[in-house]
Amino acid sequence: MRLNGNPAHPWVSILLYIGSMLLLFEWIIPLEIVTDTDYVHVFYLFVAYCFLLTAVAMPAWVRSPLKLFGLLVVMDVLFFDARFMSTSWMQQFFADLSINTERLSNRSWMEFTAPFRTLLFLILLWMLSYLLYYWFAIVKKPLSFIVFTFVYLTVLDTFTEYSAVWPIVRSFVIGVGVLGISHLFKLAEAERLRLQSFRVLLKWLTPLIFVIIAGTSIGYVAPKFSPQWPDPVPFLQGTAEEGFSGIGFQDKVQRIGYGENDEQLGGGFIADDTTVFYATAESSQYWKVETKDRYTGKGWERTVEGEFATGIPGEMLALEAYSTTVTRESGQSSIQLVEPGNLNKLPYRYGTASFRDLQVEYNPVTGEVKSPDNLPGEPYNLHVEQPKFPLEQMQKQVPKMHGVPEPYLQLPDTLPDRVYELTEEIIAGKENRYEQAKAIEQYFSRNGYVYETKDVPVPDDDQDFVDQFLFETQRGYCDHYSTSMVAMLRSAGIPSRWVKGFTGGEVTQQTDLAEGEDLTTYEVQNNNAHSWVEVFFPDVGWVPFEPTVGFSNQTDFMAEESPESLEETNEPTEQEEQELPEPELDEGPEEQQPEEESGRENVESASDVSGYTLLKWGIVIAIAALIIWVIVRYRFRLMSYWKKNKLQRNHDQESFTDAYGFLLKLLEKEGYAVENGQTLREFSKKVDRLTGNADMSELTSYYERAVYREENLESERERINQLWSRIVRNLLAK
Amino acid sequence: MERSIVTQHSKIEELLTNMEKVIVGKRDTIELTIVALLAGGHVLLEDVPGVGKTMLVRALAKSLDLDFKRIQFTPDLLPSDVTGASVYNQKEMTFEFLPGPIFGNIVLADEINRTSPKTQSALLESMEERNITVDGQTMALKQPFFVMATQNPIEYEGTYSLPEAQLDRFLIKLKLGYPTEQEEIDMLGRTTSVHPVDKIQAVMTQEEVIDLQQQVTEVHASNAIKEYIVKLVHQTREHPMLELGASPRASISLMRASKSYAFIQGRDYVVPDDVKWMLHHVLIHRLLVSSEARFEGRTVASILDEIANKTRIPMERG
Repeated sequence: MRLNGNPAHPWVSILLYIGSMLLLFEWIIPLEIVTDTDYVHVFYLFVAYCFLLTAVAMPAWVRSPLKLFGLLVVMDVLFFDARFMSTSWMQQFFADLSINTERLSNRSWMEFTAPFRTLLFLILLWMLSYLLYYWFAIVKKPLSFIVFTFVYLTVLDTFTEYSAVWPIVRSFVIGVGVLGISHLFKLAEAERLRLQSFRVLLKWLTPLIFVIIAGTSIGYVAPKFSPQWPDPVPFLQGTAEEGFSGIGFQDKVQRIGYGENDEQLGGGFIADDTTVFYATAESSQYWKVETKDRYTGKGWERTVEGEFATGIPGEMLALEAYSTTVTRESGQSSIQLVEPGNLNKLPYRYGTASFRDLQVEYNPVTGEVKSPDNLPGEPYNLHVEQPKFPLEQMQKQVPKMHGVPEPYLQLPDTLPDRVYELTEEIIAGKENRYEQAKAIEQYFSRNGYVYETKDVPVPDDDQDFVDQFLFETQRGYCDHYSTSMVAMLRSAGIPSRWVKGFTGGEVTQQTDLAEGEDLTTYEVQNNNAHSWVEVFFPDVGWVPFEPTVGFSNQTDFMAEESPESLEETNEPTEQEEQELPEPELDEGPEEQQPEEESGRENVESASDVSGYTLLKWGIVIAIAALIIWVIVRYRFRLMSYWKKNKLQRNHDQESFTDAYGFLLKLLEKEGYAVENGQTLREFSKKVDRLTGNADMSELTSYYERAVYREENLESERERINQLWSRIVRNLLAK
Repeated sequence: MERSIVTQHSKIEELLTNMEKVIVGKRDTIELTIVALLAGGHVLLEDVPGVGKTMLVRALAKSLDLDFKRIQFTPDLLPSDVTGASVYNQKEMTFEFLPGPIFGNIVLADEINRTSPKTQSALLESMEERNITVDGQTMALKQPFFVMATQNPIEYEGTYSLPEAQLDRFLIKLKLGYPTEQEEIDMLGRTTSVHPVDKIQAVMTQEEVIDLQQQVTEVHASNAIKEYIVKLVHQTREHPMLELGASPRASISLMRASKSYAFIQGRDYVVPDDVKWMLHHVLIHRLLVSSEARFEGRTVASILDEIANKTRIPMERG
């Protein structure tokens, strides 16, 4: 047996090598499930065959052809019909080889034929049979391969359907056994014990076997933590797409965009700059799609379905039932859908009076507008009578729960009392519905709520979405703010509903939609998907409010006379028509307009900037740390090159002393320091006993001649260099 | 302490093997004896009677083809019994000097502590001076001159223990010790009609010994080695548990012994291992443990071990 490499302990090498083969089998087993590899047993046989050949003493020129033969036999069994090694067989084989060689040079990795992939895999197994022989049987350092095996199995278990429960147990038993045996061998080496017969070895191994059995059983029976991530795949995908810019742990990551289902709100999302549509308007508008009425404690459902009516092109629609107190201003818009995605309804703006060239089905209750056929590919034009809401009317005293049916006051029974209490607190002292709504709308920005899209949790099963946002996380995006505002309004008896749609979008150069007339074209992306709030005011209608911090209410309110309640926050010089600024925004009112257009983007990019700087610094620090780590970790390796060069270049005493001193330091790092009072000879013998050769003693004898005989070893230089390099190389290879 | 017991020098290996035919299992002791001989020093053997002290010296003398003399020290021995005396020759009407046993090459001074200090000093002075003055006449002793003194460790009645100043003159102090069981069985097997010491042949001539002694003095001791020796000796002087440290003569002795040992190992330069190995044998009889340390059970040997283990060895060219 070649495994008699160390004649004192042949059994140790045999056991270790068998262990390595079993571990390699653990690598092959999952292939059947994970990669749909067939004929896995053939690979086992090939591995066993290679291992056997490696283990048996024979010259390499015999072993390699034998392995090659085995490889070809496997190929024959798996792929080729022709008689083994016949001419046609050869032709097939080489034809396949040449095709793939070409693909190899073209880097078309994915187009390799199955025989070629199998051939590569077999060659890999062949190489592994040698590598494992080297790791396990010769240097006896099995730890890294064992660790790799565990990593491999756990990764497969996590990300594929392969269940590694038993493979882990098996690998543990094999791995600990192999480690135990190799450690026993090292002890025996150090103590110069002889484990000649298998019986003696078995006696030594009994406690080890006992420990493995006990450890495995305890580990198997013991209770285990449930996984940290129920399913890490989406998390990792999200992280990978986002770059590591500060996504924390979260339960759910979704891509932003318009969705139908709002039953489960919360969780972080990632940006998506797909264009949904282009739209023209006089100024930035919110694009409304639909409303929902029922808050479940987790999300939104629709209970009031309403009825669809048909809108003839050019005819006035009764889409929004504003009362006559609302004044109107004419306008127009044109919308070109690009990639609607989940959007199956037509977005429109507040005050849409008619679709000029499109027949639509519209629902005045839910605010939905559908196209009877597919979504129009051509741009559709809106005639708009932009509403301006009368402040005076809205500020009239209205009894609670007045004006609209029950659904818009619905709240789940599970809504915690503290939501009601908070609302009461917020609206205390506010006399009318408008002021109360305004107070709730402004509550978030005044109390340090944070706009956050990534690190946002999904509420637990027994947790209310609004309650979690208001009292625990205090960070979130539009859904959090709008839902919370509706819940609070309703808890105060103010009818309100939840609106979905898009924010204004970004000004773009795309002008083919605009027909002169001072219209600006906006690009609305999935990133602009938004939700906000509509509050019902008697004798006015549904008025939009914008609670989300960083966004501003684009609704026009028209004040007929100076209302007392607004004096605190508004300019004293009343204009006939005014926009209500968000008091908490830093920018003054004159900067309000651009802010409105890009409010959301600003907030997002602000957090992006900080994330980006953090990321940049993180990378810089990581790279610096990596460099430092490499230098510290490989300082001996780096120094060894330097010293070696010096030793080879200068044949003087100093370079030898220097190189020898470096070697002593290297040994010290490995745990063999020269003790006080220990002579170099004694030290070298100890080192040699550990390394199993006499290099150190020989080198030391030269060093002694240099130091104690004060001899110039010009003629011995080559041998010295050779010895030094060999020792250093072996040490660094550890 | 580990060291190789294989002697590198072929001539000395021959001598060792020859002597081993007589002295069983005492290779170390034989080697140290040769170390002392080649270093031109003398050996003090301290051991119980009957372990083969005399046989060791006789085997050495026979192997080297040197003149062997033995002096049995007794309380009534006079200095002239050692050195010899002038006797009046009536026939020739002159005083004629009859040389004493000290005029041999290898002198065994048996039970040296049983005689009076006066007689002891007659021997010890001649050991140092290598010549002797009797009746105003100075005579050189034979070359090589090697004294092997024995003393009994057990305190007998009427012994005169050697003063420290006298002990300093011995290069090395040795113990033979009892043989192991197996060695003793071997020994019984050998002691047949003819004693083994009578069967061995000389393997070296007198001239060769003198030549080897000369070569030993030429063994190179680098500055690093000298530094190491001095450090070790200084430690003995500063050690709190030692009443008496080693003298400068001890430093010289340590270097000579180390050179000699290095030579036997087949080297022409001293390495720290030589010094470390010789340290015990050269210093053990020159140091005195303080009474408190003795009370604590410390011995010279243990203190020397301590010193050897804590002294850093110079590893660079000095």
